[in-house]
Amino acid sequence: MPPIADPDEDLVRRVGDGDAAAIQAMVARKLPRMLALAQRMLGDPVEAEDVAQEAMLRAWRQAPRWAPGRARFDTWLHRVALNLCYDRLRRRREVPTETPPDRPDPGPGPDRGLLAADVGSRVDAALARLPVRQREAIVLCHYQELSNIEAAALLEISVEALESLLSRGRRALRAALADLRPGAEGA
Amino acid sequence: MTAERFLALVEAWGADPRRWPTDERSAAEAFAAAHPGQARAALAEAESIDALLQASRSPAPSLALRDRVLASAATAGLQARRTGRRWMDRLGLALGAGWAAAACAGVAAGVMLGTHLTADAEADAILYQSSLLGLDDTEVLG
Repeated sequence: MPPIADPDEDLVRRVGDGDAAAIQAMVARKLPRMLALAQRMLGDPVEAEDVAQEAMLRAWRQAPRWAPGRARFDTWLHRVALNLCYDRLRRRREVPTETPPDRPDPGPGPDRGLLAADVGSRVDAALARLPVRQREAIVLCHYQELSNIEAAALLEISVEALESLLSRGRRALRAALADLRPGAEGA
Repeated sequence: MTAERFLALVEAWGADPRRWPTDERSAAEAFAAAHPGQARAALAEAESIDALLQASRSPAPSLALRDRVLASAATAGLQARRTGRRWMDRLGLALGAGWAAAACAGVAAGVMLGTHLTADAEADAILYQSSLLGLDDTEVLG
């Protein structure tokens, strides 16, 4: 199998060497991505910060022994962060008395305008109510902008199965957010 | 590409061809060009979902989180290899006797330094602060 091209290869090598500027560049490049991934998977900003911080700590530990060519570092880091999210989602299921992570859908209030923040909150709430696998597919493909092959590999499913998750997820979002779409009454 | 496949593809991946699977992108674009009537409705539908998804704002990492993550590089044992000590000597002079207190203040000192120093020096300073907060200076910074 030919080596996998990795746009982060040089940066990871420099991080592994302890290059302070590279460490800072890695934070700038990856921390927002890991935070966004965790936030959308967990719907909880505090937990998302914890996951992002832990994922980056593992990146620091991995960098000195990273073997380029076998995988993209970004894909590996997504795997780490997703596993940390799974752990937290599993813990929530095992402790049903905890506050449910999903935020209630605020719904279209009678005087609700179409402020961007309102729409964003509605979308976040609708995403949070999706089944985990559908949410994951949309988060990886739409927000994290991973390729279909990378996302399918992370989810350990075929590209066809990933496409099915995406279709179902987008249909569910369309139904949940129907009142926000152009032409909807009151929009 | 069949119409059925084009509709399935757009429903799953959205209206932006950049998100379409690379091995089908050209064929799908050709289908859309050849059958604009069929493609238009599906693309408009998908675009409206794409636009809603884009309304979800990505969180920006706080300075405190960023600083914790930078400090964790030292915790993880990454050895600063650049001329950090020279930078830190300069920082030590700049901050004088208040350096230890500034190190305890952590974030506040980082922000203050950031306004005066290059990004490179700031990174070194934060690593140095983290080393003062309980790690072995010699191990971390050489």
